[in-house]
Amino acid sequence: MREFRHVVGDKNGLHARPAGLLATVARSFESDIRIKAQGKEADGKRLLSLMSLGARCGTELHFIIEGKDEDVAENALRKHCEEKLNGD
Amino acid sequence: MTESTVFKGIGISNGKVRGRIKFYNKEVRAQPSSVKGNKKQELERLDRARKMASEHIKALEKRALSTLGEKEAQIFEIHAMLLEDEDFISSIIGEINGGKSAEEAINITAKSYGEMLAALGDEYLAARQTDIHDISAQLIRFLGGDVSVNKEKDTKPYILVATDLTPSETVQLEASKILGFVTFGGTPSSHTAILARAMGIPALVGTGKIDSIYDGEEALLNAEKGTLTVTPDEKEIQAFEKERQEYNKIAKEHELYLRSVMNKPAVTRSGHKIMIYANIGSESEVASAISNGAEGIGLLRSEFLYLSKDDYPSQEELFSVYRDIAIKMQGKRVIVRTLDIGADKQIPYFDIPKEENPSLGYRAIRICLDRQELFKTQLKAILRASKFGRISIMLPMVVSADEVKQSKALLEECKAELLTRGEGFDSKIELGVMIETPAAAIMSEVIAKEVDFFSVGTNDLTQYTLAADRQNPRVTHICDNNAEPVMRLIKMATDAIHRKGGWIGVCGEMAADLGLTQQFATIGVDELSVSVPYLLGVRGKVSECR
Repeated sequence: MREFRHVVGDKNGLHARPAGLLATVARSFESDIRIKAQGKEADGKRLLSLMSLGARCGTELHFIIEGKDEDVAENALRKHCEEKLNGD
Repeated sequence: MTESTVFKGIGISNGKVRGRIKFYNKEVRAQPSSVKGNKKQELERLDRARKMASEHIKALEKRALSTLGEKEAQIFEIHAMLLEDEDFISSIIGEINGGKSAEEAINITAKSYGEMLAALGDEYLAARQTDIHDISAQLIRFLGGDVSVNKEKDTKPYILVATDLTPSETVQLEASKILGFVTFGGTPSSHTAILARAMGIPALVGTGKIDSIYDGEEALLNAEKGTLTVTPDEKEIQAFEKERQEYNKIAKEHELYLRSVMNKPAVTRSGHKIMIYANIGSESEVASAISNGAEGIGLLRSEFLYLSKDDYPSQEELFSVYRDIAIKMQGKRVIVRTLDIGADKQIPYFDIPKEENPSLGYRAIRICLDRQELFKTQLKAILRASKFGRISIMLPMVVSADEVKQSKALLEECKAELLTRGEGFDSKIELGVMIETPAAAIMSEVIAKEVDFFSVGTNDLTQYTLAADRQNPRVTHICDNNAEPVMRLIKMATDAIHRKGGWIGVCGEMAADLGLTQQFATIGVDELSVSVPYLLGVRGKVSECR
């Protein structure tokens, strides 16, 4: 199992587009990807599930990755968070 | 018999219109089918509809990519993902297995997810309900096998309903098709409101969310009462029509009176003359400005040439538009405000990074002094056009005399470059600045030495003076009820420019507020510049002032 945390930097929070992009990345891996935030938990591969976290700018996302390709998945997700969920 | 639903908001402009509602960016409303098969048949129908909807979305995405650009097209990607979303689809399937028709199942699911997003308390995510409803409406439409988008409805003028409209969205609208605007958010000074005033059509802002199920329904928009009545009954329609006729009759009589004073100068009873100018945002408004007695153009919002394009307009393009306006105004003053973008007016190809605080950020003259080639292209276009009429240059968002000096240095460079190319221009071209920051008003004594005139942008001056965002409905009342501090700043600027022998105008929304005309006259303001529909009213009001 791998885990890491990332604070959402995008001004609009984890809204539809960033959630969609995140789900797309997550879906490319076999591992189970769960994201916890504000006491809720979402399936990282599902758009509506991610949106229902209601994560805003400043919310901490706790990624939990479990499965065969968890190492690669963690790296890819970290990279994605740095690049796409940091705001600019 | 349907029951009518009334939405309340803040009425903008005057007038009453009756027409069909059209949701911005929406496809036609879904018609629920009443035929229901067994579970297996319903699941098959759902499957077919999903496939068709998915193809349709791909086509929309492609169209959006070519006509609107990548950013706008991304929303369809989201729609495609929603359509594939396991939670969404399994909820629909669950409802069908529970005995519901495919249509009912979709509606129930859309409603519960819509409510879930709304309950998150996040405005942005709550707005995503629209996407869920959009997808659901498409699914339902394809369940009925109806693939054709009803175009006929679009050929008739409609009442446009939107969450809110950005300037770049509004520039893409076909003005002749719009009877009125309704926006869920917004305030009397939001862009939609300004646009409605400029077009002389009624609008309603701040109605709160209106469900897209009303898309395509008949509605009555009453800007005086601030109401939108959806699916009105016969009685309501009759009463509305009667009021409308009476209103139109009174409006016509009033206009006839105003037209009779149109060509007389606007002079107060104590003999102070005020020039009545028009604010315009495009070349197409020039003719109506003239026919409503504008003595000049007090504010040409030059952004329109940039907003309606995908790339920077060339000097030639800018020049030809400025020239045509100068010619049409036949020697009357045309004040071109140089590019005022940033803050709430963003242009994608300018590639301006997101800011925490855009109103206090990189905008207007700040961009122009930083991206000097961009600024010089515009300045040269204005200079070249100046020999075809009487053009003045006005700088927005100035806070110091230094910015004016820098701009003047660039203007001199442009003049020199034009001269070496043998291009002519009006060597006495007037230069002015907008007084729209408290700093500019406070420093007006110093800034006045650099320019020929001032023009007060009351919208920004108000929000910066009162530290209240005019787009935020919770603090709009602060902007609306505290004219005094702004008036004192205007008085400072007026006295400063008069001492120097220059003149001052007011071109913000306050200029059209007839309750303030007397105060402007007392302060000694020389010009009031307003949207075309207010020209006659302000002219009439000035002659009633002391």
